[in-house]
Amino acid sequence: MLAISIGREIFAQLTMNGIFRGASYGLIGVGFALILGVTGRFHFAYGFTYTLAAYLAYTFHFRGTPFGPFSDGFPFIVSGLMAVLVTIVVGVAIEKYVYRPIASGAGATALLAVFVAALGIGIAGQSTIALLWSQQSQGFYDKDQFVKKAGWHIWKVTFENLDVFQFITSLTLIIVFSIVLTKTSLGRQMKATRVNPDLATVIGINANRIYLICFGIGSGFVAVSAFWYGLQYSVNPDMGARPVTTAFVVAFLAGTASSPVRIFMTGIVLSLLEQWSSMFIQTRWTQTLVFVILFGYLINKSAKGTIFSKRIISIVTLQGIRG
Amino acid sequence: MTILLETHDLQAGYGRKQVVFDLNLKVNKGEIVAIFGHNGSGKSTSMRSILGVLPVMGGTVTYDGQDTTKNSSGTNVRGGMALIPSERFVFQDLSVTDNLLLGGANDPDEARRRVRQQLVYELFPILKEREEQLAGTMSGGQQRMVSLGIALMSNPKLLILDEPSLGLAPSVVEQIFGVVRDLVVSEGLSVILLEQNVGQALKIADRGYVMRSGRVVIEETIDQMKARDSFWDFF
Amino acid sequence: MQIWVNYLDQILIYASLALSLNLLLGYAGQVSVAHAAFGAVGGYTLGYLVTAHNVPMIYCVFIGFGFAFVAGGLIALVAMRLSTEYLILLTLAWGYVLLGVFSTIPALGGSFGIISINAEPHLLSFFGWSMQRPTDWLVPIIGLVSVTYAICWRLGESPFGRILKGVREDPVATQSLGKNTFRSQILVFAISSGLAAVAGVFNAGWLGVSTPGVFGFTFSLTVFALVIFGGMANFAGSMLGALVLTSLDPFLRRVIKFDQSKAFLVQVIIYGLLLVILTRVRPQGLIPEGSTIRSILRRKKSEGRTEMINASETAPTFAARAAVAEVSQNNRHTRWEKAEIVLEARGISKSFGGIVAADNLDFVLKRGTITALVGPNGAGKTTVFNLLTGTIAPDSGTVKLLGHDVTGRSLDSSARSGMVRSFQDVRLFQRLTCLDNVLLGVQDQPGEKIRSLFANPRLVSAKEKETHEQAMKWLSFVGMQDFADVPAVSLSYGQTKLVSLARVLSTEAEVLLLDEPASGIDVKWVDNMLELVLAISAEGRTVCIVEHNLRVVRDLADHSYFMELGRITAEGTVDELTSSPRLAQAYFGTV
Repeated sequence: MLAISIGREIFAQLTMNGIFRGASYGLIGVGFALILGVTGRFHFAYGFTYTLAAYLAYTFHFRGTPFGPFSDGFPFIVSGLMAVLVTIVVGVAIEKYVYRPIASGAGATALLAVFVAALGIGIAGQSTIALLWSQQSQGFYDKDQFVKKAGWHIWKVTFENLDVFQFITSLTLIIVFSIVLTKTSLGRQMKATRVNPDLATVIGINANRIYLICFGIGSGFVAVSAFWYGLQYSVNPDMGARPVTTAFVVAFLAGTASSPVRIFMTGIVLSLLEQWSSMFIQTRWTQTLVFVILFGYLINKSAKGTIFSKRIISIVTLQGIRG
Repeated sequence: MTILLETHDLQAGYGRKQVVFDLNLKVNKGEIVAIFGHNGSGKSTSMRSILGVLPVMGGTVTYDGQDTTKNSSGTNVRGGMALIPSERFVFQDLSVTDNLLLGGANDPDEARRRVRQQLVYELFPILKEREEQLAGTMSGGQQRMVSLGIALMSNPKLLILDEPSLGLAPSVVEQIFGVVRDLVVSEGLSVILLEQNVGQALKIADRGYVMRSGRVVIEETIDQMKARDSFWDFF
Repeated sequence: MQIWVNYLDQILIYASLALSLNLLLGYAGQVSVAHAAFGAVGGYTLGYLVTAHNVPMIYCVFIGFGFAFVAGGLIALVAMRLSTEYLILLTLAWGYVLLGVFSTIPALGGSFGIISINAEPHLLSFFGWSMQRPTDWLVPIIGLVSVTYAICWRLGESPFGRILKGVREDPVATQSLGKNTFRSQILVFAISSGLAAVAGVFNAGWLGVSTPGVFGFTFSLTVFALVIFGGMANFAGSMLGALVLTSLDPFLRRVIKFDQSKAFLVQVIIYGLLLVILTRVRPQGLIPEGSTIRSILRRKKSEGRTEMINASETAPTFAARAAVAEVSQNNRHTRWEKAEIVLEARGISKSFGGIVAADNLDFVLKRGTITALVGPNGAGKTTVFNLLTGTIAPDSGTVKLLGHDVTGRSLDSSARSGMVRSFQDVRLFQRLTCLDNVLLGVQDQPGEKIRSLFANPRLVSAKEKETHEQAMKWLSFVGMQDFADVPAVSLSYGQTKLVSLARVLSTEAEVLLLDEPASGIDVKWVDNMLELVLAISAEGRTVCIVEHNLRVVRDLADHSYFMELGRITAEGTVDELTSSPRLAQAYFGTV
């Protein structure tokens, strides 16, 4: 009722915004859920890899190599792909050289230890970016004008071509990843490692390798998202905080064991709610909505009698069956 | 008789805590060896370090003529070792087919994998019927069959069963043990059976060990074991 | 001079935040990444009330504490039943949203925040002590740190703090000892948040501004870094951490001459790298839990001691134990027949998915006797303990303890009504000493209540002395008195079983449910363990054991229930049970 009185145009515009923004939340959310679900690492430095990816793309394109044929920057698309690749390498390296040694040394307190290290990487990384480039925003665009920003109109709804590109890449990645997960041996091994890590090791799956792959995929997803975001707006050292925090919430709301499509849809629904809410409340309060939804979800979850963690429940249940 | 597996003064444990001391174990080809012992006696820990899931803290493991002491579980599984844990022995959220395919994940030969899968379905027709069902929703006995299927998919030479009778009705135990014995005959499989169900185990085993507090305290042929008038010493 | 005092002020404000976060993170094991956001609650309370309503600072301290206490309590209430990841996420979101909202409210200065808090100097004063220059602030800030230290120390190093540490190590085991873990977790979160807000009030007053930037995420992380660096569950460590790390700022700016923004970034980078390196190299921090600066300097010696204990595998000696009369099997049976029923379970059932773990169970436990649940692995014996104590809720059936219906009570509540269990996998509090483990079992400690801690310290310390004596008594009873100061993690398996028995005994519960008390322990210790259990029952306590070693059962039990696949299929003396060929078959399979 209220929506109609406010106007169909606004509603349509907000819906469009919500879907585009949500696709990005969804993609990052899938990456984070994959990492947390399979490896159990609370990869807090995920926000840093987001920012890094955008800055890398920016730097490759505008600065290029110190000398040689690319001394005035790589072509736009090449810069983007290189940034994604380097971000993947960085994500994998964080797991291999930081998280894994810390987790194997920490035993029962691995979650906290890894989280602390992740915090450290996150803040040190973000500040390093600010120190090396600058605290200010940098404009990021295709200086060769190969990919041009353009406004599109359908009916009374306005959006950019970049929105559409972003949406299509995100959706494609999610679909490809879903197929990998359900149809390939690698996908089965990833699910197996998440469902029952002990049995996975027993049947000869190399968990360390699977972990690295998860970090690679997750870092790739976040890099793609950051690339589009930087292109649409600008790059700045704080750019990772908000989208990645929202994506964390998306991953938890959907459940880290959920299918990629479901997490992706959760991202879109959350984003739609955020957009639509601006019809009813002042814009400044819309950002509280994510928190309110999370809070409500957790109240519901904790009221269901989920005592402590799933881990403890499974221990108790197992003992029950065993004894 | 050729020896398939032999450990020499194997030491094993978790982290810094040693649980298994000076284990000397021998398994011949085509032989079923039973290991008895109380909870926490070190049976499972020994098997896990033989497989390479836990690092060996000392001593050596020789398998199929090779020193496998430092091998990872992946290498050992490719070499023909398969272990079925005593609990959480299937991937609950995955379908029966996915469970079986995971068992064969280390075998690059697609055709051979299909043959193995056919064999598993012949042994347990119920699994064929329930291909698409999530393993975690099946009955205890059926889950055991899935777990045996996972192990057989990797084309094992040495099958390690950790308390396969746990929580099962006697008729199901007999069925599963029957399948294991047939496989030993038809495929020349060697089996290590960690058991509490002494009666069933003695029916199919060739030799037996008893472990207590991390050490082997009894090593006998099956006839010597059967001749005992009580098994209380085993636990 | 003023400039250096200003740095000292800053160090002390950071220290007070680190202290309250350490109470939460180190003692209670709760991860909050929004500590500075709670500081913002205080800072903005001061800023708003002083600039808009001319409220003196002293009131703002209490109002800020109150707001943050309630907000923290609510967050804890929601997150506490869930796993750590959810708490991290919730505090993270809370931090962003709170500052996001503050920066959009015009009354709070929007994104610029509230500036010129010190425009009305008379409001920023305590009892006539006006605070303008850094030196004026020093005394009140020292007061802030002292009070924060005192409160945190009182809470952390007390029976209340022991519960926090217990929950940190193993919430289920803590509940099994009758402790209301839920309440203490909520309270500690609320108090810690409140204390952060008080520090926030001082921070805003001292700076003269309260802005989103001042209390931003980086501030939270800095405090986090101080705690990790100094050492978790160690307040001296937090003080030291604040001193060392906060001094980086003057060092970078005055000695290396970086400009302000560069100094800030470099400082944050160093904090971040420190966190990574520390978790790898020295996860316990500068001063580890349970250590003092002095004990660190003498470290070599104590390490040697742990090694020695690891090597000692001799069975303990039992000096203080009562002699146990030999009771024949026949006498046992008559004794059991005559004894009064203490616990009565009727029609207990439970299934997990498709697996029936308990099927319509009826049984009784009688005063001063030992009842055994026997049967093969997987028969559902441990499930019975889980169902009786409320570790798992039964699908149907009733449990009566001393005539009262205790069906479906929670684990801690059933422990308080006099029924305490041990665990098959022992579940000692790994990083706590043996003595602390047993201390946690003692019931009715006034020091577990915050009000008594502050209102009645004399009673608390008197009781604490008694509690120690009681715990030592039970440690000696099991022969582990020499290991009182040793952390549980360095014990052998057999030793952990003994300490866990002492822990259960120290609850003085009427009914003891012992899950495999003798399994897996060295043969030469088994007899000692059996004597201990007999001695307990001779004291008139009601004991139920789960055991699949029938030799142990024969030595101990007055009465036995035989379980197969979730059902009780026979009962009687052990000899009656073992002479039945059908049961032998169920136990060992057919021979």
